[in-house]
Amino acid sequence: MKQLLGNWGKGFAIYLVLMILYPLVVPDAYFRSVGIVIGLHAIVTIGLCLVMGLAGQISLGQAAFWGIGAYTSAVLTTKYGLSPFVTLIVAAAVPALFAFILGRAIAGLQGYYLAMATLAFGYIAQIGMTEWESVTGGASGMISIPTIPFFGDTETGMFYLIWGIVTLVLLFSLNLFHSRVGRAFRAIHKSEIAATSMGIDVRRFKLNAFVLSGAFAGISGGLYAHYMGILDPQPFGMHESIKFLTMVVIGGMSSIWGALVGTVLINFISEGLILLGEVIPGLKGDLDTIVFGAILVLIVMFMPEGLVPRLRAIREKAQAKKAKGKMAPAPSTQSEQATERKAIP
Amino acid sequence: MTALLEVQNLSRDFGGVRAVNQVQFEVRQGEILALIGPNGAGKSTVLNMVSGVIPPSEGEIRFNGQALSKVAGYEYAFFGITRTFQNLQTFDDMTVLENVMVGMHAKTHSSLIACGLRLSRARREEQEMREQAMKWLRLVGLEPLATAVAGSLPYGKLRLMEIARAMVSQPKLLLLDEPAAGLNHTETAEMSALFQKIRRDGTSILLVEHDMDMIMSIADRIVVLDQGTKIAEGSPREIQENPAVIAAYLGTGEE
Repeated sequence: MKQLLGNWGKGFAIYLVLMILYPLVVPDAYFRSVGIVIGLHAIVTIGLCLVMGLAGQISLGQAAFWGIGAYTSAVLTTKYGLSPFVTLIVAAAVPALFAFILGRAIAGLQGYYLAMATLAFGYIAQIGMTEWESVTGGASGMISIPTIPFFGDTETGMFYLIWGIVTLVLLFSLNLFHSRVGRAFRAIHKSEIAATSMGIDVRRFKLNAFVLSGAFAGISGGLYAHYMGILDPQPFGMHESIKFLTMVVIGGMSSIWGALVGTVLINFISEGLILLGEVIPGLKGDLDTIVFGAILVLIVMFMPEGLVPRLRAIREKAQAKKAKGKMAPAPSTQSEQATERKAIP
Repeated sequence: MTALLEVQNLSRDFGGVRAVNQVQFEVRQGEILALIGPNGAGKSTVLNMVSGVIPPSEGEIRFNGQALSKVAGYEYAFFGITRTFQNLQTFDDMTVLENVMVGMHAKTHSSLIACGLRLSRARREEQEMREQAMKWLRLVGLEPLATAVAGSLPYGKLRLMEIARAMVSQPKLLLLDEPAAGLNHTETAEMSALFQKIRRDGTSILLVEHDMDMIMSIADRIVVLDQGTKIAEGSPREIQENPAVIAAYLGTGEE
């Protein structure tokens, strides 16, 4: 157990160092803005990981929650002059409320009903953002959304603000993973019948995970609005929801770290494709949709557990091999091998 | 001895088929009651109704005098009724320790927020869950495998893990669905000893099992089902000599 915590601490230390150094070592503002976008996405995908990887429910509505959070904070600051620090909390609460109502409406959240319902919800939400012109500004959107005064409005200040929140969300989720509630989520995913017989209210816990993911997406949306300064409904559609889903799947659904790694990877691929499009004139349009679709298919076919759990398994196998080599020809029984495998979030 | 669990006129229909028909029995405080019968007799269906997995079509189940008809499936564990499964229902991607810790769910209360922020209550409960789980892993002999991923364990060990998971919350009634299935002779004997210890420590047991050695050695009383109907009830000796039971198992030759 001590070792498990030790491993966890090491990973977290590496994360902190990379995160703090990133804006200082990258050559220009472009990379800092990429870093900020990754952070915004990571808040959403960590939440999605809790719903999908832990509780086993597929949500195709994260971009809608993201957008609702963005518009909530944008409208409250520009039209009512509230402080962004207040409106960010509202930006988390409003999508969480939508998630609660949606989750309650599909009683039990069984099977793929949540995927279907969130698919429909995603379309409705985007139509709402476009059509409710008096509030959202319609398709042309909103402008001059105030920035968040944090270390003097610089891109670097924004980077640390957003990644500070990523860190909090990450810590919260890692704690949750190794707790009564996190184990309840994971238990539901594997066997609803066994979870129920242990006293877990399956409906309530699925709903909890879904509402939490809505709140995370909302905070991120609010930050997005203040970072961008402008807002239109275009980024909050199905395309973005599927992108979030791809990030979680590629990194490894069952791992909180996986969501983070997947987010970084997909964003860099995305940026790489834009660069490629500038070099090769034929590569324009929805290239990233095709690439992400292909990645999703390949992952599901060849690495369904995702990147982080796969790397972990390879590392453990290597360690086991090394340990076996040291121990001379002692026959390794199944149970001995089993003790060497550890579960890490 | 007072009745802990009373089952009255319990019936269950699947489509047009009556799987369980007007079954009546009780589990008394501190006893091991075995529920036996040929394949398809309705034993598992009875167990699924008593554990709240499926609702009865007719009849009533009372626990400590309270009717369970309005109680949701997940609340059974809070009443002190837990179970194991004929086809193992383990959480394969968790460690053995974590699997057993899930069994403490009904005994703990930390909220999502408390768990995410690791508030002192959540930490305290986490510690308690871990201690209780380790205690039960020691009792069933799985302590060395505590940090192993459950999915990597052999079948017999998983059966023990399920028992630890069901027992860690100190239930009043433990429901066992064919716990000896797939085990060898030694493992079955060890399991029988474990059940006797559990009973001694104050948990009553309702046991569905095919292994006659196990039943005859540990059951206080036996209820026999055949084609959904109770055909006999009594001590192991009485059941062994009961002509209706012998006929149900061996066939009468008249059909």
